[in-house]
Amino acid sequence: MRFMMLMIPKGYESAEPGAMPTAEAVAAMMRYNESLKKAGVLLSLDGLHPPSMGARVTFPNGKPVVTDGPFAEVKEVLGGYWMIQVRSREEAIEWAKRCPAGPNETIEIRQVQELADFPKDVQKQLDGFTEMQPHLTRGKAS
Amino acid sequence: MRFMIIIKATPESEAGGTPDQALLEEMGRFNEELVANGIMLVGEGLQSSSKGARVHFKGTDRTVIDGPFAETKELIAGFWIWQCKSLDEAIAWVKRCPNPFNEESEIEIRQIFELEDFGPELTPELRESEERIRAELSPKPN
Repeated sequence: MRFMMLMIPKGYESAEPGAMPTAEAVAAMMRYNESLKKAGVLLSLDGLHPPSMGARVTFPNGKPVVTDGPFAEVKEVLGGYWMIQVRSREEAIEWAKRCPAGPNETIEIRQVQELADFPKDVQKQLDGFTEMQPHLTRGKAS
Repeated sequence: MRFMIIIKATPESEAGGTPDQALLEEMGRFNEELVANGIMLVGEGLQSSSKGARVHFKGTDRTVIDGPFAETKELIAGFWIWQCKSLDEAIAWVKRCPNPFNEESEIEIRQIFELEDFGPELTPELRESEERIRAELSPKPN
């Protein structure tokens, strides 16, 4: 089963453009990433620049409306994620608990939808979508 | 530049339903267009938060909270990773995306941290470690 561990750092919703983690935090996180990789559970991971450098698109009445970040009234935002392959939700939670996260950080654990989770007719529609990804990932690895 | 395109949850997605055939077809065509233009690297959907959990960190304490989580609008239903030349290009593509749900919805665009975004805090050792982890990660499961 694949799970996403979503890092939600309190305060990141109002971080200035260009805000970076400290060297200490990066070093601790790298050791954790190494342990995930050594255990064979890590599939991918990324960190995100603050929302003040991003945008949101909404679709009221079907027409796209763009709002530049930071986003007012937002209580929590994503700071980064790990995609892991584990046997159960419990195992995913155990890995999250080992993360060297700071005070007032939260990791949300969410199961990734696999093709087999969908009804047969929906699976048929999604067929091409799964096939296109490994090819793309290999071709575009940066 | 890579961007994470975050599809925010809605009452519909949190209820755990699957999209209807018309929307799947429309989304399938959009994905094909993204692929044809070399934009899409990854795309995944997440199961509803009722199947997930959160781990909250405070000092050495770890508190596990089972889903579902109340703030539906702040939750994530799925995401893409895109390769674009600029935030503006990413926004332009998002504007062409079919409304991901049959109700009002929101898509957030966030830039991903690349190694070159870090200054000297990322020591040569950390940089090497990060590069090694990424090189060894398999492109996709299965």
